[in-house]
Amino acid sequence: MNVRLLPILCLLLASCSSLPEIRTLPDAAGKTTCPSPFVVQKTRFLHAMEAAAAGETRTVMIGVTVADPASRTLACALMSPEGMVLFEASRNSSGMEISRALPPFDSSDFARGLLDDIGLIFFEPPEPVERLGVLDTGLTVCRRRLRDGGWLDVGKDRDGRVRIRRYSEGGRLKRSVTLAGGADPYAAIDLQASEWIGYSLSMTLIESEILPDEARSGK
Amino acid sequence: MRLQALRRLILTLPVLLMVFPAAAGVNDIDRLRTDASRITSLSADFVQKKSMKILSAPLVSTGKFFYAAPDSIRWEYVKPIRSIVISDKGNSKRYIASGGKMIEDKTGGAQAMKIVLDEVAGWMKGNFTANPTFTASVREGPETQIILTPAGKNMAGLIEKIEITVSRRDAVVKTVRIVESASAETRIDFLHAVVNQPLPPGTFQDIP
Repeated sequence: MNVRLLPILCLLLASCSSLPEIRTLPDAAGKTTCPSPFVVQKTRFLHAMEAAAAGETRTVMIGVTVADPASRTLACALMSPEGMVLFEASRNSSGMEISRALPPFDSSDFARGLLDDIGLIFFEPPEPVERLGVLDTGLTVCRRRLRDGGWLDVGKDRDGRVRIRRYSEGGRLKRSVTLAGGADPYAAIDLQASEWIGYSLSMTLIESEILPDEARSGK
Repeated sequence: MRLQALRRLILTLPVLLMVFPAAAGVNDIDRLRTDASRITSLSADFVQKKSMKILSAPLVSTGKFFYAAPDSIRWEYVKPIRSIVISDKGNSKRYIASGGKMIEDKTGGAQAMKIVLDEVAGWMKGNFTANPTFTASVREGPETQIILTPAGKNMAGLIEKIEITVSRRDAVVKTVRIVESASAETRIDFLHAVVNQPLPPGTFQDIP
């Protein structure tokens, strides 16, 4: 590559990575509420998961997720369609525990990234909403500044679908999650990851189940 | 290596399971080998129940299995996710459901499957002891039980043992238990097994 093109390329990239502007609505403080599709009870989800890179489906797996919003603990497992457990891990306040990780899922970066993605999908962020308004696209959005750096927008389209977008500190879009409209937002989940090598996950709900709250039941 | 051994095990189980009916009532691996070599074709439905700590109730999968001598295999899961592995004339392909149609899995899994299914074909011809990963033994009782235990360290932490239960009364395999740990196991029940009958046309052809 011609090195003289590098500054131009950098400028182009920088121009593509600014945090979208939010227009504050006159009645935002009174009437508009932030969408909150997140789990409110400990729940187990079983999804068919389709992983794609470069727009091409790479593999299909069965994903099991247990999300407990009260303790913010997560447990997840990935299985092949044949039932072979490829990956199993959990995360609580003490840290992350990987109980099984077969190649190519055997790096700690993968485990951390997967659990981060699952947390993004299922848990309401603990940070307060800083801004509430409308994007140029018409999406009503609530913006939070994340403790770990960066920004998080949660918004709702006119068609009822909730969109969650995580940005870097500099405003580069890192994750985009779209949940299904209708009664169950977790019936269909689409996650787009914008990394050096981008990937996407399309998750279709097989079944979900509310689980007893162990802390409350004393178990 | 461990992953390959695990894949090999999981894929060979249905075949192993289905060759035992012809051998029920015997307590000798050599006799099993002889009887297995008599099978020219077989088909069966199966119900698979996966138990893990993270699941409160087993995950139930269902599907169909087909074999034709000397080395053609179709292993098809219907629910909860449709997937098909076909091995025929030295070629192996894996198909997965995506966007309402079956697409070929190009992750490299098909290549691993070829290794697996080549071995399966060997088993179908009676080469039970060709795989050094497991040691097989037969236990006689009210029902015949074949127990496979890992012979080396390849399966350490992945599989503790496999139990295959065969009815002595009617010579039909009833269950297979793959015990992965104290809290995880896979149980496969085979139903409606048909041995040495013609299979549906196109059973081993590529999925368009």
